Amino acid sequence: MSTAGFNSQNGTGTGQAYANGPSQNPVGLQQLPGVSYGMTHQPTYNPMQAKAPAPPGPGLYPTAAYQSGPPVSSYQSGPAHTSYPPPPGQPLLTRPAMGTPPSHTPPQSASPNHGPRMPLPRATPPPPAVSSSSYYSNPQQQPIAPSWQYNTAPAPMGPPPSLSAPPCGPLANHTNPSSSSTVPPPPTLTAYSSPQPAYGSHSATQPPGPRMPSTSHLGYTQPGAAPPPLNPMLSHTYQPSRPAYGPPPTGPPPLGPPPAGPSPAMTSTPPSTAPPLANVTPPPPKADAQCREAVNSTLSPTEPDCQESDIECPGTLAGNGPQSPNNFNSIDNKMAGLPQPGLPGRHLGHYPSLPPGYQNAAAPHKPTSPMHPTMQAATQPYSQTTQPYQQPHGGPGPAQLSPSLAALSLQSSSPEALRVVNLLQERNLLPPGPIPAPTPCLPQDLQKINCNPEVFRCTLTSIPQTQSLLNKAKMPLGLLLHPFKDLSLPVVTSSTIVRCRSCRTYINPFVSFLDQRRWKCNLCYRVNDVPEEFMYNPVSRSYGEPHKRPEVQNATIEFIAPSEYMLRPPQPAVYLFLLDVSHNAVETGYLTVFCQSLLDNINALPGDSRTKVGFITFDSTIHFYNLQEGLSQPQMLIVSDIEDIFLPTPDSLLVNLNECKELVQDLLRSLPSLFEKTMETQSALGSALQAAFKLLSPTGGRMSVFQTQLPNLGVGALQSREDPNQRASAKDIQHLSPATDFYKKLALDCSGQQVAVDLFLLSSQYCDLASLGCISRYSAGSVYYYPSYHHQHNPAQVERFQKELKRYLTRKIGFEAVMRIRCTKGLSIHTFHGNFFVRSTDLLSLPNVNPDAGFAVQMSIEENLDDMQVVSFQAALLYTSSKGERRIRVHTLCLPVVNSLSDVFAGADVQAMAGLLACMAVDRSVTASLSDARDALTNAAIDSLSSYRQSVLTIQQPGLLAPACLRFFPLYVLALLKQKAYRTGTSTRLDERVFAMCQLKYQPLAYAMLMIHPALYRVDDLTDEGALNINERTIPQPRVLQLSVEKLSREGAFLMDTGMVLYLWIGRNCHPNFLTQVLGVPSYATVPENLYLLPELDTAESQRIRAFIGWLRDQRPFFPTLHVIRDESQLKASFMQNMIEDRTESALSYYEFLLHLQQQISK
Amino acid sequence: MIALTMIARVVDGLPLAASIEEDEQSGRDLQQYQSQAKQLCRKLNTQSPDRCTLEAGDMDFHYLIAQGICYLCLCEASFPKKIAFAYLEDLHNEFYDQYGKKVNTAMRPYSFIEFDTYIQKTKKTYVDSRARRNLGSINTELHDVQRIMVANIEEVLQRGEALSVLDTKASNLSTLSKKYRSDAKYLNTRSAYAKVAAVAVFFITLIIYLRFWWL
Repeated sequence: MSTAGFNSQNGTGTGQAYANGPSQNPVGLQQLPGVSYGMTHQPTYNPMQAKAPAPPGPGLYPTAAYQSGPPVSSYQSGPAHTSYPPPPGQPLLTRPAMGTPPSHTPPQSASPNHGPRMPLPRATPPPPAVSSSSYYSNPQQQPIAPSWQYNTAPAPMGPPPSLSAPPCGPLANHTNPSSSSTVPPPPTLTAYSSPQPAYGSHSATQPPGPRMPSTSHLGYTQPGAAPPPLNPMLSHTYQPSRPAYGPPPTGPPPLGPPPAGPSPAMTSTPPSTAPPLANVTPPPPKADAQCREAVNSTLSPTEPDCQESDIECPGTLAGNGPQSPNNFNSIDNKMAGLPQPGLPGRHLGHYPSLPPGYQNAAAPHKPTSPMHPTMQAATQPYSQTTQPYQQPHGGPGPAQLSPSLAALSLQSSSPEALRVVNLLQERNLLPPGPIPAPTPCLPQDLQKINCNPEVFRCTLTSIPQTQSLLNKAKMPLGLLLHPFKDLSLPVVTSSTIVRCRSCRTYINPFVSFLDQRRWKCNLCYRVNDVPEEFMYNPVSRSYGEPHKRPEVQNATIEFIAPSEYMLRPPQPAVYLFLLDVSHNAVETGYLTVFCQSLLDNINALPGDSRTKVGFITFDSTIHFYNLQEGLSQPQMLIVSDIEDIFLPTPDSLLVNLNECKELVQDLLRSLPSLFEKTMETQSALGSALQAAFKLLSPTGGRMSVFQTQLPNLGVGALQSREDPNQRASAKDIQHLSPATDFYKKLALDCSGQQVAVDLFLLSSQYCDLASLGCISRYSAGSVYYYPSYHHQHNPAQVERFQKELKRYLTRKIGFEAVMRIRCTKGLSIHTFHGNFFVRSTDLLSLPNVNPDAGFAVQMSIEENLDDMQVVSFQAALLYTSSKGERRIRVHTLCLPVVNSLSDVFAGADVQAMAGLLACMAVDRSVTASLSDARDALTNAAIDSLSSYRQSVLTIQQPGLLAPACLRFFPLYVLALLKQKAYRTGTSTRLDERVFAMCQLKYQPLAYAMLMIHPALYRVDDLTDEGALNINERTIPQPRVLQLSVEKLSREGAFLMDTGMVLYLWIGRNCHPNFLTQVLGVPSYATVPENLYLLPELDTAESQRIRAFIGWLRDQRPFFPTLHVIRDESQLKASFMQNMIEDRTESALSYYEFLLHLQQQISK
Repeated sequence: MIALTMIARVVDGLPLAASIEEDEQSGRDLQQYQSQAKQLCRKLNTQSPDRCTLEAGDMDFHYLIAQGICYLCLCEASFPKKIAFAYLEDLHNEFYDQYGKKVNTAMRPYSFIEFDTYIQKTKKTYVDSRARRNLGSINTELHDVQRIMVANIEEVLQRGEALSVLDTKASNLSTLSKKYRSDAKYLNTRSAYAKVAAVAVFFITLIIYLRFWWL
């Protein structure tokens, strides 16, 4: 940023900066349908393109393209295959024995690919030709695969390029690591594996020592250190471990060899066994090698090689599961994985009609296990990898076996994220606990300091090298941020903040120091000088170690900004409350709660001695309150001229809180009674907002608006647009966009004057949130909605309002903030989601920033990231704290760049994708239509899965196949389709729908995910097993259940956590013990109707469940209300609507949805 | 009217506290004056006159330096100078009382921004014409105000700039001359080579000529 940039950053500058804003606004904020929704129309995520590649495939693919493409060819031939083509279980049955035996063999092909890097294998077993054939088959299939709706759209990018690209990729990956000192390129498993194949071939010829491999691994992991020459050595080492597995599946063209192969491997003395196998026949050894690889990677704990591999890329290994038994995913996978292998053969025929896997997931496992007892024992921990292996035996006849074996071998070593899952057969995918964010495949030292995924997350943890590769993957690329999350951060005070001179990036852990005095920016690659001051490290009090400074040790850090970062003195904390006091408002009784809350928390408002507060109430007129020091009581000033609003007195409407606290408290005590008898029903919200804006514009600050009805007087008056009879219609939902631009314009004015508007909507009727919400959306405020709020009839809402208001009043706040997100040259950010105003291309204006706000951005790849191993993203948030300090909070995220499609898939972060898609769908439904948005969501799932099937899977198999990392994708998409925001056919109030959309855009991912996919727990049998212990409280951790009625039982009690609401469902035959111990009622029939509080009983059961619920609530900034429901309860319907895996009148069940996807994919 | 008040540390120009009159009322854009005020604070040093009035268009800056702290305010030109300086004196007394000892240890800008509350209150009493009458006693003490130096803000701000321009020009000149020197050297060597080459060519042709045609 140039100095000019600074100015704009400061944000206070009203004049120019502001001017820019509004004008840009239309462009930046209202995204045209095409633009905003990258998925369908845009080049960035071009479904089209992806399809395009396929067609050429059949013809082109045959030899050249594929061979060149390292990922595919290399894999098949070498052990690498196993790693990449993850699908352990899938391939087996389906394929006729195309070229299975050959596929393994082609060492030649593998070696060429790696050629540059690797020394040629001494003995190259040459069964090459065959292998290639197997590949071809795939391509052919690809063309066949039907293109989805996306196809229709024009494909900007050329798909073919993607094919060509891959070849380069592998080389680059491998070479880079060694060459580049800074970034050990992410030895993800995949990367890792790919090299292996080459080794494997070598190994076959030479009996390698077990130890050797370890060194080789190191070489890989630490790019800088490992010289290329070492590779040959490495290859040897690898062999021993891997071989074991390989043979059984693929190697032994006939079954003979395989059994032997596996068993040795299992024994855990790979080296000894390996040599003999190798001798037998060239092909088999390779297979063995592959297998062993797989084994090693999984079994690693016992073997040295593996351990080292751990060091290299901890993240990936952990993902695999073997290493970390604790890991939920891995365990889960086991569960899921096992059934697959056994069943496939039998079910192939039926499965379209029946969900075979669904009922008996566990069963299949047993039958297979007997076959290889040793295997199982060894593999169990690593179930995923081993399974494929087992399958062959249990499965179909020999003819089928051979192909399937080949597939297996390939997949056996694949990283966990790429393990193929047949969604139609695996039902129990959900892990028992929360799903952790995937770990980018970065070297450990980088990963250790990388940004916390709760703060900064990318939908693809491995960034594709080119836009065409991204288009081919058909997954959305974007970032999700929670920049102002409550954290305790290292704070740096220094007179100069070290930044890149050309791109203004803040110095961060991912820059490289060329020497003591120079550093290279990781975003634009400019070399900068290290200022003298930076040489001194205040933490260690040492000199000359710039890389030990806190800025270079922490990916998230906060700076105290020098005066260059402010255009005006830091503003004081200013809070203005705008209260609706019409008859309707008084009826709801919210005023009492508000005043009491504010009285209770008045000393906890963030701020210093300059803090100012003010109050305005309004019905058909505007009432100001003069709170000037010295008055004996507050003075009300009424302005009835709402057409041309003015301030009755220039000062003393906003007063210093410390000096006038008495008066403010007086006012709060008298306010509720002041309007008790009002009969005024009209509401002049627009004028009140204008008045409030005038009051706040000199300083900026926060305006909190409490509104209970549709504004119907003066400027900004609205009319009811909702037809209650249409709520349930399956046709398109109208009126999702604002009815007037008054609120948006006013919000932009506010934004220019550093005023944010927070809206509290407490209403039982339609309030046109779609229009009113604009006031908060563009001024970076937040929206709270309490449907059917009433102080007597709806105590649950009252409690929620109280709790949330308390949090709202006391939470941290940043004023006059701006946020800029930078990314490495070649990437560009094009669409933002959240509440803010885009002031210039990448600068978000945030008059207020609060710790509960989340943001999302979409990205595209503008230039190829050819020579980069990693890319970085940096979000810098400049704000004024409530204490008048100007601070900069900087988050930096570093991600690896990959060049093969399978690596891209392996790095997919399905939760982040769901979150980003939800944001994109909101834009789409506003700019186009809801049905468009729904289609786009479905297409997103279809596209990515079909792309996966066409481009990554080497062996086709019936079923709906997904890599393990995407196994929740269809579920989340279905959940989104059934979410309040997007559902059709179910009665949904327009305001609630719009509110849900606001929430999806505004909530940080962790909370949004619960809104999308609620969590269901069985709570009548809570135990302390596996419980957390926090602050001496024991918090049980029940297993997360699938959202299906079949999981409910009449004998139990279930808790559903939807983020904003908790439902406690009591089964009809629930154990009386639970009823008495927890609910304090003698029988089911006596469970009260509107129970929203659990009685505080002194029983273990009660304590457990209350601890659990309390823990759930503590984790989020809003307050989920609890509803205890029985079968007869009114709320049962909304509880059941969250059972997203079940069928409803208007929506598909999960299984039907999967079938639909499958149909579209194979069309 | 006092539009802007700023308190800064003289040594490094670090702003310590400030107050801005709402520009909504006066309708004036203070942005430019603010940056001038900031620059001014950076220019001032311990050698600067203690009290000075700087004219900037239809506004005047008045500043007062005491105990290493600079108090600066921006008023309309018509605003009585006496009162402006009385106001600054007042600020100094209070500020030095409250924060005097902490001034030298302040690290971040606007460390004492909370003093703003006092500034605003004081400002009101000085700006309010009714209250002004009560300040008569103070005014008389400041009779020497007439002797306060008056200068133009532009001159003050540009004084340093002229020097820096000179400096850059000089350095440009020296780099240019260096470049000229190296260029000249290069040209010299080149012409020398050319001469040698010409002579060599001549002799070679001569030899060849002698060898093939002469004999």
